Amino acid sequence: MQQATHKTLYKTHGWIGIISGILLFIVTFSGIPALFEAELAHWQTPNNPVLNTDKQDFDKALLVAQDQGFEHSTFFLQPANEIDGNIYFAHFPKDESPSHIIKINPNTYEIQPPATSDLAELLAHLHTDLHLPNPWGRYLVGLSGMAMLLAIIAGIFIHLKWRKEFVMLRAKRSWRLLLTDQHKILGLWSLPFTFILAFSGTILGLLGLISPILAVAAFNGDVGKATEAVLGPKAELTQEYIPSQSLNQLVIKQKESMPDMDFNLIFIDGLNDKNGFIKFSGGHHSKLSNLESTTYMIATGEAVHHGSFIGKGPFQRIFASVTPLHYVLFGDSWLKVIYAISALAACGLIVTGNMLWLERRRKNLQTSNDHHWLGKLTLGTCGGLVVAMTVAIASSQILRIFSFGEQQINIEMGLFWGSWLSFIVLPFVYGNSFKLSHLMIRLVGLLFLVTVIADGAVNDRWIWDSQGWVLNIQCGFLACGFLCFYLDFKIPKYKQSKTNKEPEEDSESGLFENHS
Amino acid sequence: MNWLKEKIESNTSKVIAALFGTLICTIALTIGITLIWHFGDTVEHIFAGGTFFFIFWAGLFYWTILAEKGSNAWLRIFSILIPVAILDITMLLKPFS
Repeated sequence: MQQATHKTLYKTHGWIGIISGILLFIVTFSGIPALFEAELAHWQTPNNPVLNTDKQDFDKALLVAQDQGFEHSTFFLQPANEIDGNIYFAHFPKDESPSHIIKINPNTYEIQPPATSDLAELLAHLHTDLHLPNPWGRYLVGLSGMAMLLAIIAGIFIHLKWRKEFVMLRAKRSWRLLLTDQHKILGLWSLPFTFILAFSGTILGLLGLISPILAVAAFNGDVGKATEAVLGPKAELTQEYIPSQSLNQLVIKQKESMPDMDFNLIFIDGLNDKNGFIKFSGGHHSKLSNLESTTYMIATGEAVHHGSFIGKGPFQRIFASVTPLHYVLFGDSWLKVIYAISALAACGLIVTGNMLWLERRRKNLQTSNDHHWLGKLTLGTCGGLVVAMTVAIASSQILRIFSFGEQQINIEMGLFWGSWLSFIVLPFVYGNSFKLSHLMIRLVGLLFLVTVIADGAVNDRWIWDSQGWVLNIQCGFLACGFLCFYLDFKIPKYKQSKTNKEPEEDSESGLFENHS
Repeated sequence: MNWLKEKIESNTSKVIAALFGTLICTIALTIGITLIWHFGDTVEHIFAGGTFFFIFWAGLFYWTILAEKGSNAWLRIFSILIPVAILDITMLLKPFS
């Protein structure tokens, strides 16, 4: 590769990282709880049932819901599964009025009390939409994914000595070399996962933005028509009463017609309407696709549409596999853990990249990066997010002592945003960034331990008595807590300066310095 | 005129070409590939366009940013954009003629 090309790629890699790094950290780090959203949702509500029946009676569940005033004709039905043992009925109004959600225990068919914590949704929504208005948050997430993809591509081309860099960690030479080696090691080892996450995340984030472009080409700009071609037709309701068929019978029919599909959502549009539809959506049980669906007339049971991406062209297969690849809807839970570790490595990659850029700039400008606003903003935003997440996790259990009921959801949100904002401001007030980062790591470790203890004391779910997903989540929190204490111990307490006079074997740094 | 020439040849101009010029070029290319893709059904054409969108964007970004100066970057953009835009317009207007 020509030196000029190498230099340009190196500069581009650095600037993409600097411009999008903090946003990328927010999206990547919040992706870890988003990966375990269902598991966290199960853990956050201590009285959640565990599914112990083979057959769920949806007709009976619907009658129970209707007895409780669930009188909607258009709604979603989510069956109980091995993680979340509730049957959900949910109606989302088209206007701004609040949604109506009812939870039913599939073992006893009793109504479950509404959730007092919304922790899983709080953290997952940060990953998918950054808590910004729809669709702008989603687009921003997609653009950050694109930035990550571009940085990865340049990173691959500029790190030509990858065999050596796979294992090279010069921990005792200088702070800058330590950062350089950590950045390369984290990037190389997590490369396949970060590439998959970046590519699939970009598609998921920007699909809404490119849909009109694709619709212009194939459907004269009619996005609705394009959506219908992909996802099937919509019901045209007549308001003419015809009693709907039994939901249980329709489930049997669906299983007979598409035996390879594991449905996880039912959408009923027009219950007891002559033209009402019932749509089963889910994934293929052995292939990468979560876009399998089948739609029936709810009054007659006549099949309207079968949507399967299996056996279709390569590009339909690519799109069908995007969500399963991004959220690990395949393999077992250990694969999710590997994804989570890779996401953590990507976070380390972003932080070390930012610090490296500041180190090189500091050398050029002869200043300390402790005083650079970007260093403070990186520490406050990235470190603050980690602290705020653990504050929200710990508070989801501690707040149960005060029996706030549904009000707890707002308090959790207030604590999350309040602590994050405080930690964004803190580095600008407290000058010693090294000391502050250690304090943050210790606080996070402590909060994880407090969470496990609070869970035991408040809900009587001590770790030695727990089982299933509750035990897995508690073990996960303990592991994260101990990882924090280990990092606190291993990360230098102050910046090591280079003591020997050997030149630093950082081949790219010279290229960068000349142009930064 | 010298002022304009300087601006077009500048690094800022190259970065603008890489960020925004490539986006417009990618949109034109995506419409083009969706229109001319003849394998599979209409849904396959849409998804082919959707996949190529990201490949085109990433590829064009680096092709543009690796140009020697801003004017070369814009030249690369227009060398793709003009023929593809003509192809798109011709194919989109075809059903009406």
